[in-house]
Amino acid sequence: MTAFTLDALEPGAERHSARRGILAARLGRALWIAPVVFALAVTTLYPTVFLLGLAFSKSTLGKPFRGFVGVKHFATALQDPIFLSAIGRSVAYALSTSLLQLALGFLIALLFTSLLKGGRFLMSLVLLPLMTPPVMVGIAWKLIFAPAGGLLNGALINYGVISQPISFLGHPLLAWLAIAVADLWQWTPFIVILCFAALSTIPEGVREAALVDGANGWQRFWHITLPLVAAPLSSIYLLKLILSFKLFDLVYILTFGGPGFATTSAGFSIYRRAIEQFDVGRAAAETIVYALVIGLATLPVVRLHQRFERREL
Amino acid sequence: MRRVGHHLWLGLATAPIVGFFALPILYLIAVSLKTKDDVLNGSFWPTAPTLANWPAAFEAANVIGFIVNSVTVSLLAGLLTIALTLPSAYAVLRLKIGGQWLSDVTLSSYMAPPIVALIPLFFLLRTSGLLDTRAGLVLIYGLANVPVAFWLLTPFLRRMPLEIEQAAAIDGAGPLRILLQIVVPIIAPGIVATFIIVTVLAYNEFLFASAFTFSDATRTLPVGISLFQGDRLVNFGQMAAASLAGIAPVYLIALFMQRYLVSGLAHGAVK
Repeated sequence: MTAFTLDALEPGAERHSARRGILAARLGRALWIAPVVFALAVTTLYPTVFLLGLAFSKSTLGKPFRGFVGVKHFATALQDPIFLSAIGRSVAYALSTSLLQLALGFLIALLFTSLLKGGRFLMSLVLLPLMTPPVMVGIAWKLIFAPAGGLLNGALINYGVISQPISFLGHPLLAWLAIAVADLWQWTPFIVILCFAALSTIPEGVREAALVDGANGWQRFWHITLPLVAAPLSSIYLLKLILSFKLFDLVYILTFGGPGFATTSAGFSIYRRAIEQFDVGRAAAETIVYALVIGLATLPVVRLHQRFERREL
Repeated sequence: MRRVGHHLWLGLATAPIVGFFALPILYLIAVSLKTKDDVLNGSFWPTAPTLANWPAAFEAANVIGFIVNSVTVSLLAGLLTIALTLPSAYAVLRLKIGGQWLSDVTLSSYMAPPIVALIPLFFLLRTSGLLDTRAGLVLIYGLANVPVAFWLLTPFLRRMPLEIEQAAAIDGAGPLRILLQIVVPIIAPGIVATFIIVTVLAYNEFLFASAFTFSDATRTLPVGISLFQGDRLVNFGQMAAASLAGIAPVYLIALFMQRYLVSGLAHGAVK
């Protein structure tokens, strides 16, 4: 009551307290999103700014930012054939294995969908590879591919396919295949779960209508099912692509980048440059180059996804 | 008759898939039961099964300590992630704070590979004295998994009927009370699924853990196991036993929580 009379006596005070009220309300609203903004600042904004700083300065792990060096680190990185081929391999690996896993995961999801109840049980089974720590995935596959006493060599020798054990992880191409198999084992289940969910959104009526119209199995798949799940499929591919560019653990455990540099992925090469050689200036420049390459490589997929999304609207 | 044939085909197609996904885990179990000589003969099952690798593995490395570190760090990080993300995801969706851009920025921040943050976070932890501590890992994982939690929680929040919240608002409840007393109990399954997923992500993480911890007192299990294989005398049997010990906690969770997990992951994709 007193406040009311005071406000009435001083017209400026009302405006003042109203402004303070709006400010308090704004602050209150900002507090709601402060946690996520804080997380983004620490894990994304700060690293980006810090990396840019490192990339243009003379820096070691012990003493960062010791003088501006211009684009020297970028020039060295872009002239280093080992780093450039690591980037090339990472891109080729991500694009191809993601596509393979998408195709495989989609087929398995189609199979599980037609199994109905059994499919749901199998779904919880395929959850296990996805939950397995990648380091342990690497160890399990390393035991399978081992030259001495490995399961695969043992089986191939027993069935008379080969007479001498093969060093799968010591051969440039086979080592990549080994990494791809372990990756496929771990991540295809994720794609199966996502595709299964996408398929379950197709209304039963659509399928029945096609049946009534006399469409055969292939026609139903090609003209009905596939267009309906095109948008989710493109976003699943994008998601897997992003995950594939993060490839590190399997390389570390299965091959440690070898033989030579044959299976050194971009991430692994940057890790060794920073953590083993302490050359963080150059590692920072390499990281920025790699991030830009990822952006460029995923852009067509993002565009494709947007086109599918628009078509749905 | 045609139906039976149809099902036979489906069964035949399913068997190799199940076999492939079960193989590495079954082989880990088999190797963990093999003697040193048995490991080298290349057969699947051990000829003379032994449990000796299990206690030997726990003696050779601080496996128990690594598991304790991993479990503590991942649970605390999971709680931190949920505590940070839930109010913000709710605010963006229902209170229209932050708007679409915050949601876009959060999701696109997930696109950058973790290697981008490796060096900057190393310096951040060193400056703040959190390098080689479990608290440092909790903080990093708790923050780094926010985009994932945001992505997983949003569909659950979106499908929550607006009328219930409106009714509560008319009764005079503030947004915080609505979130805690009405929204949280209703979307509890989604929160549980999200919590499990971000916790497992933290439990499984290797890159940051290997760069930010250097002593047995702080190392998590994936780092401990990776050092195991670097030893001069690699004992496959012990390595398999230690790996299985590390996988066990995750599989137990998967077993009991599978329903939540599949739906939690699936809803994120369908929107």
